[in-house]
Amino acid sequence: MEIRPILSALMRSKVSMILIGLQVALTLAIVCNALFIIHERLQRMDRPSGMNEADTFIISSTGFGQGFDVKSSQQADLALLRSLPGVADATSAITVPMSQSGWSTGVSLKPNQTTDTASTALYLVDAHGLSAYGVQLVEGRDFKPEEVQFKTFNERVVPTSVIVTRALAQRLFPDGDALGKQVYYDNEGPASTIIGIVERLQTPWLDSDFIDNSTLAPVLFPYGNATRYVVRAEPGRRDEVIKVVEQKLQEANPSRILSKVRTLEQVRAEGYANDRAMAIILGAVIFALLAITALGIVGMASFWVAQRTRQIGTRRALGATRFDILRYFQLENFIITSIGLVVGGVLAYALSLWLMSAFQAPRLPWHYVPVGFLCLWTLGQLAVLGPALRASRVPPAVATRSV
Amino acid sequence: MLKMTHLQKVYRTHLIETYALRDFSINVAEGEFVAVTGPSGSGKTTFLNIAGLLEEFTGGSYLLDGVDVHGLDDNGRSRLRNEKIGFIFQGFNLIPDLNLFDNVDVPLRYRGYGAAERKRRIEEALGRVGLSSRMKHYPSELSGGQQQRVAIARALAGSPRLLLADEPTGNLDSLMARGVMELLEEINGQGTTIVMVTHDPELAARAQRNVHVIDGQVTDFDAEASLRQSSSAAAADTAIA
Repeated sequence: MEIRPILSALMRSKVSMILIGLQVALTLAIVCNALFIIHERLQRMDRPSGMNEADTFIISSTGFGQGFDVKSSQQADLALLRSLPGVADATSAITVPMSQSGWSTGVSLKPNQTTDTASTALYLVDAHGLSAYGVQLVEGRDFKPEEVQFKTFNERVVPTSVIVTRALAQRLFPDGDALGKQVYYDNEGPASTIIGIVERLQTPWLDSDFIDNSTLAPVLFPYGNATRYVVRAEPGRRDEVIKVVEQKLQEANPSRILSKVRTLEQVRAEGYANDRAMAIILGAVIFALLAITALGIVGMASFWVAQRTRQIGTRRALGATRFDILRYFQLENFIITSIGLVVGGVLAYALSLWLMSAFQAPRLPWHYVPVGFLCLWTLGQLAVLGPALRASRVPPAVATRSV
Repeated sequence: MLKMTHLQKVYRTHLIETYALRDFSINVAEGEFVAVTGPSGSGKTTFLNIAGLLEEFTGGSYLLDGVDVHGLDDNGRSRLRNEKIGFIFQGFNLIPDLNLFDNVDVPLRYRGYGAAERKRRIEEALGRVGLSSRMKHYPSELSGGQQQRVAIARALAGSPRLLLADEPTGNLDSLMARGVMELLEEINGQGTTIVMVTHDPELAARAQRNVHVIDGQVTDFDAEASLRQSSSAAAADTAIA
């Protein structure tokens, strides 16, 4: 292997080596961290909400007029919705996962506790809540119709029985015996009894640090004259059901305004729009950086081949085969890339430390850098292949041609 | 050592054919020092390129140290070139970014010698041309004559059977040219066959034999006589056998 003579020749023309090496180093540092951020975002976007998202949609209804009674209207709408063909179940809801708006509260183990034991999102539903959301009950039981309270906007909501997510149950009762225990959603009481535990139901806030802590309470609570319904269609019938629901609700009360008809998939897409945009932008940055680096290597290698045509011919005249010439340029690129990668590896971890301190980002996992090494080595070898093949085709007779 | 018979080299375009060598025959015996002379464009460099396996020919035959080079592929030609031939170029053709040690090392690496063997050969070759004390210097730090000496050391390091020199003193002043010529004579005196292309009659006169080339053909009587003599000797050998 010609590593030493190549290295000593490179040391004689340091500028080119430093330029390419620096480009490789910066590319590695940025690509590793950007890939990690993309991976983080994708993982975030992939978190399950706990709902049956494929078949579910939400629709809002606002009534008008002096005679409009929100309670009876809500009851009639729910009865209508549940009777429609293709509707698996429906409930009213003020909180929807990933929608970025809803209710939250603190929950304590004792009355008048100074600090809440946990924070939780509050889902106010009727006895069809679990079924309409499509969440999975893993312990205990569902709400009974007689447990459901109707509250108006000015009344305190203090449920006597609640269903909590497994994460919240674990947080409140780490020994795993939450079912049947009493907790406090209001400092002054009364206590609420945990009658069931569901596997998962995310809070509406995607950046929340208690995203898996949710409480379902048997309360119907219209927001003024507005009510939002969560409707779960039978598998595969969501889109046809949306049209029927809109039509039937409008027919039932022509003076109402129906709005914000969105599937849960749309809610998810809107909720994670920033994450998706970030992933796309970083992906484009990575692509651009890799392309610029590859083009830089191609350009520099092409320049070197053109500059060294006589030298290549001389090497061929002295006995180098075409493969020897090809290998020379590949090896030269490998050496430059390796030097850049060593510097880039240090830069990658340094950039990660800066992101950690400036943006509370998680630490870059160690394996990103070696994987980046492999990718950039491969990129460098592929980029230099064209010029190297051109060099290998330089005929040995070039050695005797006059300049 | 080098036997070309009715060699032909034609450059073809879709419009014309140009004969660089036509019915070119020459026989160089082992240990000879032959000067090939001729005007510009006569075919001297084409001859040298073909002799050095740098170019292929289009007709005739060429035996190098008994090996028919016609059927060799590119790798075979590279290997044979590396093993049998040492080159000395008019422009020295040293690699500017390598020091003298590494310049002389270039053909030895392609030969596949181990590090110790290469070091021994490099030191010996550079010692032979009087530059062993400047191994770590770069070509740009040497005079033209010294650079050509390095090129000669590079050519000698692999112990070639044939040394091909293309206007070896063309870029040197008369004093340096004399020194290089004396070195070539010394090398030839030690048994290495030398074929030197030159347009300098004074240099050519110092060779054992002159071959004059005009319009791609050998016009020197001695060369043709030598070829006939060689053919007769071969026929006699066959008869005796």
